[in-house]
Amino acid sequence: MVGKNCFAIASDRRLGVQLQTVATDFQKIYNIHDKLFIGLSGLATDAQTLYQRLVFRYKLYQLREERNMKPETFASLVSAILYEKRFGPYFCQPVIAGLADEDKPFICTMDSIGANARELAKDFVVAGRASESLYGACESMFKPDMDSEELFETISQALLSAVDRDC
Amino acid sequence: MISHCPDHFSHVYMDVVREYRMSRRYDSRTTIFSPEGRLYQVEYAMEAIGNAGSAIGILSKDGVVLVGEKKVTSKLLQTSASTEKMYKIDDHVACAVAGIMSDANILINTARVQAQRYTYAYQEPMPVEQLVQSLCDTKQGYTQFGGLRPFGVSFLFAGWDKNYGFQLYMSDPSGNYSGWKAAAIGSNNQAAQSMLKQDYKDEITREEAVQLALKVLSKTMDSTSLTSEKLELAEVFLSNGKVKYQVCSPGTLSKLLVKFGVTQPAADAS
Repeated sequence: MVGKNCFAIASDRRLGVQLQTVATDFQKIYNIHDKLFIGLSGLATDAQTLYQRLVFRYKLYQLREERNMKPETFASLVSAILYEKRFGPYFCQPVIAGLADEDKPFICTMDSIGANARELAKDFVVAGRASESLYGACESMFKPDMDSEELFETISQALLSAVDRDC
Repeated sequence: MISHCPDHFSHVYMDVVREYRMSRRYDSRTTIFSPEGRLYQVEYAMEAIGNAGSAIGILSKDGVVLVGEKKVTSKLLQTSASTEKMYKIDDHVACAVAGIMSDANILINTARVQAQRYTYAYQEPMPVEQLVQSLCDTKQGYTQFGGLRPFGVSFLFAGWDKNYGFQLYMSDPSGNYSGWKAAAIGSNNQAAQSMLKQDYKDEITREEAVQLALKVLSKTMDSTSLTSEKLELAEVFLSNGKVKYQVCSPGTLSKLLVKFGVTQPAADAS
């Protein structure tokens, strides 16, 4: 979710196999560099492997270019890596959030084969099981240009209320 | 100068050896031994490195120090943030280079990819010796098969891992490597190495190591004046439990040169 010169990214921490909950502290949001985060929802093994592959590519980029990757570039990289597996995809939907040039917030999501919806989202993006409920909750709770405190409250409430409905 | 004429190299390897030798017919193939059991192409590669800018590495108990002499200094050179002699391989390993820069770039890229591949497979940083060994295996390949010439580069690898702490390794075109407490590569490396042997103490601290490295380099460098533009200094150390690789800024380097009394005034203003 985008706020005024800031963004927030949130996820639940459940790892489950259908109805059984296996873990309640599973990490789904990863830090790529201090101004870039990626949240990966979906199949846990695919999320982990995808993240490890992204770290591989990102580290080499950082060593060669001697700078951090911009969020837009990273989104294109994720999209390309997902499309490589077009006929045997990662069962994973990423949510990318970062600060672009001049610390302008950037968010985007894509489907599991890399269809990049980055031009469309200026307010919020959602992914995962409860995405329909999340769309509804965000749409009603979101207002533009929130500061970081209010944004934190809003995104948390939206996530909690959507997840509550998802049984 | 080495870095300016990489395309002439196939001829230079032959021309470097001027003294008459019966075994000249064994010079041109990398993959065969001479009757005395030598690999001439590898030795010629080491000759090439002996003409390149020197680099010194010193292992201290709280870090590793790498100092390099920049050979290419011209006012016309577009200075960018990137370094000429020092390169980061991964978060916990860096290297100093001596020799043909274009060859070095290939190997550095190979080393970086190898380090990332290891991390991808094992989800932990690649142990320094394994990285050095893997890169040296690549270099060795060019001395045994393919009919390609060896890489004309020597490296000083500085890194930290949880098994052996801080380490310093030197590798040469033959693919040989070994761990060192202090080592020198490039021009005048023999003189630098003997100076290091005299002055190195086992419990040296990182600051003392910087001082020793700058002192030794200033004595063995060919140029008349020693300014921060001609040098690069990098350190690998632990900070808040994480390994840090830090290249010294020119300002800080100038201050260090003055502090340790190794600045020589510029002989001419150019």
